[in-house]
Amino acid sequence: MQKIHDRLDRYDPGQFKNRFKVLFLIVSIALALIVMRLWYLQVIKGSELRQRSENNSVRLRKIKSMRGLILDTGRQVLVDNQPSFDLVFVPNRTRDVNTAIEKIRGLYAERSLTSSSLSSFIGKVKPLVPVTLEKNISMQKLAVVETHALELPGVVVEVTPVRQYLNGMMTAQVIGFTGEISREELDHDSSDLLTPGDIIGKFGIEKFLDTHLRGKNGAEQIEVNAAGKTVRYLGRIPSEPGDNAVLSIDSALQEEAWKAIGDRPGAVAVLDPRNGAVLALVSSPSFDPNLFNSGISSVDWEKLAGNRRHPMENRSISGQYPPGSTYKPVIASAALEEGLITPETSFYCNGTFELGNRIFRCWNSKGHGHISLHRAIVESCDVYFYNVGKLLGVDKIAYYAQAFGLGSPLGIDLTREKGGLIPTRQWKLSRLKEPWQQGETISISIGQGFNLVTPLQLANLYATLGNGGTLYRPRLVKQLESSSGHVIKEYGPEKLGALPLSPQTIQIINKALWGVVNEKGGTGYILKRKEADVCGKTGTAQVIGLPQDQNARKAKRVSADFQDHALFACFAPYGNPEIAVAVILENAGHGGSAAAPVAKKLIDTYFAKKQAIQSRQQWLAGKEEGATKQ
Amino acid sequence: MIRLDRRLIINFDWTLFSLVLLLSGIGLLNIYSAGFSLSDVDRTPLYVRQIQWILVGVVGMSFAFFLDYRFITRHAYIIYAISIVLLFVVFIAGYATRGSQRWLAIGGFTFQPSELVKLTVILALAKYFDRHQLGRNHHLRDLFPPLMIVMLPFLFILKQPDLGTALILLIMFLSILFFVGIDWKSFVVAAIGGVILAPLGWLFLKDYQKGRILTFFNPERDPLGSGYHIIQSMIAVGSGGLFGKGFLKGSQTQLKFLPEQQTDFVFSVFAEEWGFIGGLVLMIMFLLLILWGLKIVIHSKDYVGALIAFGITSLIFWEAFINIGMVLGILPVVGIPLPFLSYGGSAMAVLMTAVGLLMNISVRRFILQS
Repeated sequence: MQKIHDRLDRYDPGQFKNRFKVLFLIVSIALALIVMRLWYLQVIKGSELRQRSENNSVRLRKIKSMRGLILDTGRQVLVDNQPSFDLVFVPNRTRDVNTAIEKIRGLYAERSLTSSSLSSFIGKVKPLVPVTLEKNISMQKLAVVETHALELPGVVVEVTPVRQYLNGMMTAQVIGFTGEISREELDHDSSDLLTPGDIIGKFGIEKFLDTHLRGKNGAEQIEVNAAGKTVRYLGRIPSEPGDNAVLSIDSALQEEAWKAIGDRPGAVAVLDPRNGAVLALVSSPSFDPNLFNSGISSVDWEKLAGNRRHPMENRSISGQYPPGSTYKPVIASAALEEGLITPETSFYCNGTFELGNRIFRCWNSKGHGHISLHRAIVESCDVYFYNVGKLLGVDKIAYYAQAFGLGSPLGIDLTREKGGLIPTRQWKLSRLKEPWQQGETISISIGQGFNLVTPLQLANLYATLGNGGTLYRPRLVKQLESSSGHVIKEYGPEKLGALPLSPQTIQIINKALWGVVNEKGGTGYILKRKEADVCGKTGTAQVIGLPQDQNARKAKRVSADFQDHALFACFAPYGNPEIAVAVILENAGHGGSAAAPVAKKLIDTYFAKKQAIQSRQQWLAGKEEGATKQ
Repeated sequence: MIRLDRRLIINFDWTLFSLVLLLSGIGLLNIYSAGFSLSDVDRTPLYVRQIQWILVGVVGMSFAFFLDYRFITRHAYIIYAISIVLLFVVFIAGYATRGSQRWLAIGGFTFQPSELVKLTVILALAKYFDRHQLGRNHHLRDLFPPLMIVMLPFLFILKQPDLGTALILLIMFLSILFFVGIDWKSFVVAAIGGVILAPLGWLFLKDYQKGRILTFFNPERDPLGSGYHIIQSMIAVGSGGLFGKGFLKGSQTQLKFLPEQQTDFVFSVFAEEWGFIGGLVLMIMFLLLILWGLKIVIHSKDYVGALIAFGITSLIFWEAFINIGMVLGILPVVGIPLPFLSYGGSAMAVLMTAVGLLMNISVRRFILQS
């Protein structure tokens, strides 16, 4: 360190003498002022203020804001609020919460009302920290408590808005639920608008849009009497209700999808290929979000969290499955675009494909004979795609798959979306520390092996093919409106990219997908319909590689957990699609027999609804015309 | 490296050191009491965090003590610049709570650069006035650079918005001007300028800040907001009476009627539990601290030391006076913490460092030869 040896400035405090006098004067006056004020407040007015503090009957109370509604695309209410009457004990003069509980229990018993949901309070009561005794009490109980209010000092009824999920399990995964803010959430809240006891979104749209739905709490200053009951309102800052959210979900489709899946584990995603709007998103099994309304009981929570089938997981965006044969259009378009095949290129399928000493089988053990691209997709010939995949190689496949939006999350407006997996050489080397095997390329060319997609990605893939190659970000939220109804924010379509495919390539693929449904021998023939041409593809994804030995294969198939996943993905109408559907049913067997019927019901519902609207419009137009003629 | 001078130990300013530790100790007890009945038991209690910050402060204090203050002043402008950069970072990417952006998050801790700025402005001003001593016939333009030194952080802090801290900077500036002996003509010109600029400042204020000032003149205007604070605070202080209600027994405190009872309104917790006698003792301690600070100013061997010591002393004095005045309802509610007693890590750490500087100046009068 540099030594400090500069000369000292001459400093003579004497020259500041007058200034120090002024300083002492200022300090003395200031402190004297404070001491005098203290004397005035504490000694002269002390007893008066002490009395006021003992009778301090004025308090500030939070007015909870009304959470915004959630509506579907047709403005049908999916979630609203309902008043919940909660019994609350405020320890003030009386601190004995257990006596109050016993009294209420006695009152209930006289009228043979159940008191099982009445909490038994253990622990220390802190003055003025309210203790909730019972949530969401019935009207009878409310009447009992209100009529005996004088015998129940400290017990008050608080009215709080509670979420009501009108569609229950059907939309639980998408809409999610709310709950009381936790300690960690409070610590991580950077807005600092939240206070303990606030209700916030915990899952799904409720969480994603929480800041919009939440609204703003108000406060009121009230004067209470000795029993803790309000006698006078002194001031009030009203709460501000949250914004309403309009989703692109179509309740009719959502309900149909939910019904069609039944109790089988699986997921459905329905998109509008024209803009990426999510029309339905269903995951099964599900849970009842209304259970969370008054704080979920530990029994219910354990049932949910411990369930082997994971009802809390939204399979439609976070379930990752091998795409199976629904992946074949990706392989085909890559090969066409790379010039490795033409629509006329044919391969011979005798039911097996040999690579080194490994044998890969076609699902049809008899083989398809000489087969070209169109029929290979229509009949879902595996051997054809083994050959094509071998020509492409893993990294080219990955390039095109990623262009279709696979391998990373699409960015839907929900949390916990997964990205699936599109393997590359590099990925395997860095993740598994092993070089890529050519046999693995053969597996991924029929959507097996390392490949994983989410149902949402699958629906989006087909939507993208259908609309001619524009990749949209799937969106659930259509717009936000203020509680008074005017639109605050509208969410338009968002393009993520375009497929690196020529229009000819897309047309060849779409024509083949049309064939799957509309040609004889197509695996999706049951979706053939008059009013619109459906284009689709079945898929049957092996859960694990089946043993080569026939008997062992049979033995394994018996166990339900090793059953194949059934997949179906489609869009309609051909040429100008309005709807794209992906269905995945876990361990349900063949795509054509298990998943396609679910998709069919959705397509039926969509066009039935469309027709109903059209005929109604025609009827209205006709009426108008009739009116003008007169 | 710094050779430990024996004289630093022999002439150590034990009075100042123990006074500050005593005040911090009272502050800790008080914060413990204020947080005693809060229901959020899962969080780290605030008094524990305050202890952590006092320890940080003691480290800062030792640094400020052992380095020669002339070495520190030599780099005063750089230190000042760093603190302004920090303020700027807050402005760009700060961490906001309750609608104002004041904090920087470093690791698990949050730091408030505006607290640091109080000290660095003192250092920068001391250096400036040491180099450019105002003669008998100085010009108004000589005051322009120091005005800029203050205005830069002042505007940043006003924008956060943090009216209290901005105000303290201004008051400190005026105090230091008084000390360096500005002539009355310039003072009048500055005052007229201030009067003209005041309405402009009003435009800068957020609605809640305007509200607080209006409410001070008429508490009934806003019985839910700051008016409620003032009323509840006065009830708390008054109900303490002559002897107080006793430790952990303040009903206003324990029933959580008091707003911000661990930070800005911490004095009302103290006054309720310890009464007039306690308040008087605390006032005497502050008086001793301030007089001791002025003593250091008088005995300083050089001008720059005197300036720094004076700046720090005036900071402690004004903060204490404005804070307590606000709690007692004789000054408007502006967010200014009570030195050593309010909960607040950055303020505590910076104050401890400032006291380290005071002790530094105090002890070096025995070392430096004139």
